[in-house]
This record gives sequence, C-alpha cells and structure tokens, in this order.
Amino acid sequence: MISSKDTVRTAIIKAKSKRVYIEGNFVKLLAKSTDPDVKEYVEECKRRDRASRRKRLDITKQVQKQNKELEEAAVVKEALVIELQNALDEAKTLRDEAVEDLELMQKRTQYELIGTIVKVALWVIVGVGVLTTAMYGWAIASGTDTQIIGSTWSNMFGILLTNAFSIVGTIMGVKYATEKD
Amino acid sequence: MINSILLIDDEDLFHLVFEDACSILDITLSLEALSSSDEADKKFKEWFPDDPHGEKPECVFVDLNIIGSSFDGIEMVRKINFEYGNGCVVGIISSSDDNQEIEKAKKAGAQFWIIKSDDIEPRLEEFKNDYDGYKDKTNPFKIYK
Repeated sequence: MISSKDTVRTAIIKAKSKRVYIEGNFVKLLAKSTDPDVKEYVEECKRRDRASRRKRLDITKQVQKQNKELEEAAVVKEALVIELQNALDEAKTLRDEAVEDLELMQKRTQYELIGTIVKVALWVIVGVGVLTTAMYGWAIASGTDTQIIGSTWSNMFGILLTNAFSIVGTIMGVKYATEKD
Repeated sequence: MINSILLIDDEDLFHLVFEDACSILDITLSLEALSSSDEADKKFKEWFPDDPHGEKPECVFVDLNIIGSSFDGIEMVRKINFEYGNGCVVGIISSSDDNQEIEKAKKAGAQFWIIKSDDIEPRLEEFKNDYDGYKDKTNPFKIYK
C-alpha cells in the first residue's frame, strides 16, 4: 500500500509495480520527470486515461444519438396516433352519415310501399264503389228488383267509407310516428 | 490551456461528452457543469463582485435552451456580461443555428457560438486555437459550424 510517508516517486513506483494507473486530469498535473521509470509510468497513465476517455466519449455519443432517435421516434409516434385518431373520427362520421342515409332510404322505401298500398286500396275502393253504384243505377233504370242491390250498395258504401277512413288514419299514424323518429 | 470552464446545459449526457472532449483535447483541467441557469446565476452572485475564493471560471459555455430554468442561455450571457462584471469569456453552445437567436446572443455579449453535433471535437479544437483572442477581446464574434 502507498503510505503518506512515501514520496511521489516511491508512490509512483509502488503503483507501477501493482499495475495501478492514475486516471483523470490529475495525471496531467504531474511534472515531467527525468527518471525513466516515472516517465514511462506517467506516459502509460496518460495513454490509458486518453483511451478510456475516448471510449467513454464514443459510448456517451452513441447513447446521446440513441436518445435523440428515441425522442424523434416518440414525436413520429405521437403524430401517427393523432393521425389515426383523426382517421377514426372521420370513419365514425362517415359511418354515421351512411347509417343516416340507410335509414332515410328505408323510410323512403317504406313511404313508397305505403303510397302504393294506399293507391291500390283507394283504387279498389273507388272501383268497387263505382261498380256497385253502376249496378244499382242499372237496376233502377231497368226497373228490376233493387232490394238486394240497394242494401248491398248501402252496406258496401258504409264498409268502403269506413275502410277508406281507416286506411287514411293508419297512414297518417305511420307517417307521424316515422317523422318523430 | 484554459484555467477553468463552466458549462451550463440541461442535458447531463452532454456534460460527459463535453468533459471527455475537453480532456482529450487538453482544453482545460478544471471543468464544472451545471444543469440550470438558476444554479449558475446563484454561483455568479456569490462570485460578484470580488470572487473571494477565486472560483470564478475563466470561460463559460451556455446552452441556448436550458429546460427547467427560469431563463434561457442568452439571458444568462446578458447577466454575466452586464450584471456580473463581464469578467470571463462567454458564449453559446447549442444545436440551433437560428440567425435571429445568434443576433440576440451577439447583442447580449456572447463572443462565440458553437454548434453542438455528434462531432464536437473539431469545433472545440478550433475554439481552443482561437481562445487567446477571446481572452484579450480582440477576436470578433465567431460561429463554429
């Protein structure tokens, strides 16, 4: 071990024999020696210190570079997440619009169907009404017995009118309910 | 060789890079690194006006954007030059080369601007060669790219 009583030279020789080398800027403070042993030792210390510093510098730079790359990657990732969120929002809006369109189309189809039913039903009502009235008129004009056709006509008209109002009422109800939705 | 250097930079890894580069290039034997301009400001207050323990650095390198500090590098340079007696060589070390910031730094009294990059050693070596001119204030403002 190096003791406090040792001179710098003795300390250096002891360190050299144990292959212990001074590191850091302290070694640069040692005055140049004429003693070949000390000179050789100090040069070795400097060489080793320089080599270890160079190694540490390269590693630190590498870590610094990796950190920078990670930071950049994090920024890119964040941008991608935002972009993805925007795309998701846009997709949701488009889906909502599509659903709305589909509902509208279904409603339109329903209305068209209802319209067709109503038209057919009204034509049937009008047709039956006209036919029964014509038959009743022909019976009166020809002087034949109108008892059966007369009661049929009045019954038929009552039923047809009731059905017509019922159809109109149903249509109005359906339309009101669909509009509310 | 510069007697003592103070580095003010929030990036701890850069402290190591700077220290090793200075040692390899034999720029200085005494280097202190601080992470915030507030710490540096406190130190300069202690050293001003007569620096009782002779601790004031001979040269100061200040980062432009010191994250987590009350003020940036340019304000630090201005304080060193106009509030704490202008007694040391002071400049900016930053990865930015923004002309507006460089002009601001010049107005604040910065003597040099070193651009940080992976290869900092050649710039520090060039700075080391120019250093005497900064010390006696004969060198004009210079950007080390």
